[in-house]
Amino acid sequence: MVGEMIQLGASLVAILALAGLARWLALGNDVRITSEDHARSLAAEAVYGFSASDLALDRAGIGALLRDDQGRILLLRRHGAHFAGRLLDSHAFARLDRNFLTIGSGEKTFGHITLDLGDKAQVWASSLRHLES
Amino acid sequence: MPPTFNPVDYAVPGFILLVLIEMLWARRRAPDAYEPRDTLVSLAMGLGSTVAGVLSAGAVGALYFKVFEFRLFEIGWVWWAWAACFVLDDLAYYWIHRFGHRVRWMWASHVNHHSSQHYNLSTALRQTWTGTIALGFLFRLPLVALGFHPAMIAVCVGFNLIYQFWFHTEAIDKLPRWFEAVFNTPSHHRVHHATNPIYLDRNYAGVFIVWDRLFGTFQPELREEPPHYGIIKQLGSFNLLWVAFHEWIGIARDVWTAPWGSKLGYVWKPPGWSHDNSRDTSDALRERWLADHARQPAE
Repeated sequence: MVGEMIQLGASLVAILALAGLARWLALGNDVRITSEDHARSLAAEAVYGFSASDLALDRAGIGALLRDDQGRILLLRRHGAHFAGRLLDSHAFARLDRNFLTIGSGEKTFGHITLDLGDKAQVWASSLRHLES
Repeated sequence: MPPTFNPVDYAVPGFILLVLIEMLWARRRAPDAYEPRDTLVSLAMGLGSTVAGVLSAGAVGALYFKVFEFRLFEIGWVWWAWAACFVLDDLAYYWIHRFGHRVRWMWASHVNHHSSQHYNLSTALRQTWTGTIALGFLFRLPLVALGFHPAMIAVCVGFNLIYQFWFHTEAIDKLPRWFEAVFNTPSHHRVHHATNPIYLDRNYAGVFIVWDRLFGTFQPELREEPPHYGIIKQLGSFNLLWVAFHEWIGIARDVWTAPWGSKLGYVWKPPGWSHDNSRDTSDALRERWLADHARQPAE
């Protein structure tokens, strides 16, 4: 039993050391959405067949809101060195503060994100208020 | 006297060393191949999986030894029995793995291994905590019933697991054709971890890719279709407990809210199935991809 506990403790130390090394080596780039085409590509990857007809990019490129012809709205947000997306429905929330729109999908573990959408923020906030489930 | 050693115990230092080497490779060639929080979650899942395995080993072992009492043949410990056991265990693994993707109850456990958006050696160690609950161990009962000793099966399972470690990498492109034809490789397994519709639910093999070729689930990696990794609905979270249990919670929610006649469908039907067709299964996505591309997957 003592042997197993030592093995467990050593494994834990090794895990923390490897994760620490990954951080020290600066692995996992500071990824950003670089263009509208990039956002469209990420959206199509997040939801197969999603073809954005309208979109708003965060000024720093950490996220985006996209709408397709069916009226679906997709939130893209940075997750580590990648992006993850959620189709928003009536469970989503949005809070507008001038050019900043804070959005959550309603899914607690997905969290929320504040996007700087410039003068598009107000229009998108209005769209989000009218989402259906 | 049956062997009592677990080969995985001896392989762990090698796993750590190879992760280290791959990280150094990533620093020079592909900094996005690793992300510190993702690595931490993957390795913590691996450690938790080891603990869960120890806790459940007694019950699974007791079942195997009970069935072994009624074995059909006296196979014993002859050399060819080891080879036969390894090959047949790999066949059992293929079916465990295939069911692990096609039955949501089993997917709820196996999804843990797929939930990273990275594909690196730490992903190999991202293993489930709930494998016993998923009942995959039942697929090895035929081997026990045939007469392979449970300890021999355990050793073969260990070596199979060790083999599966090294091909979780983007650092190796394609290997010689003869090797790609027979064995599972980084290229074949990149396909398996990819979310591109054409790649979904393909290449279930553990060691021998021939099982996929035989049972019609083989898909080569296509140059024009670089793999994107993870799951169809990416988690977007590094919360360890959510990573470990999210699909079980999803099943519970769906069963709770579904109409009575549909509840069990959320347990045994494929992931993505829904009673009102509001979601997509991997089959549906693949069919749409094929229709969109209007061509068959190239061999």
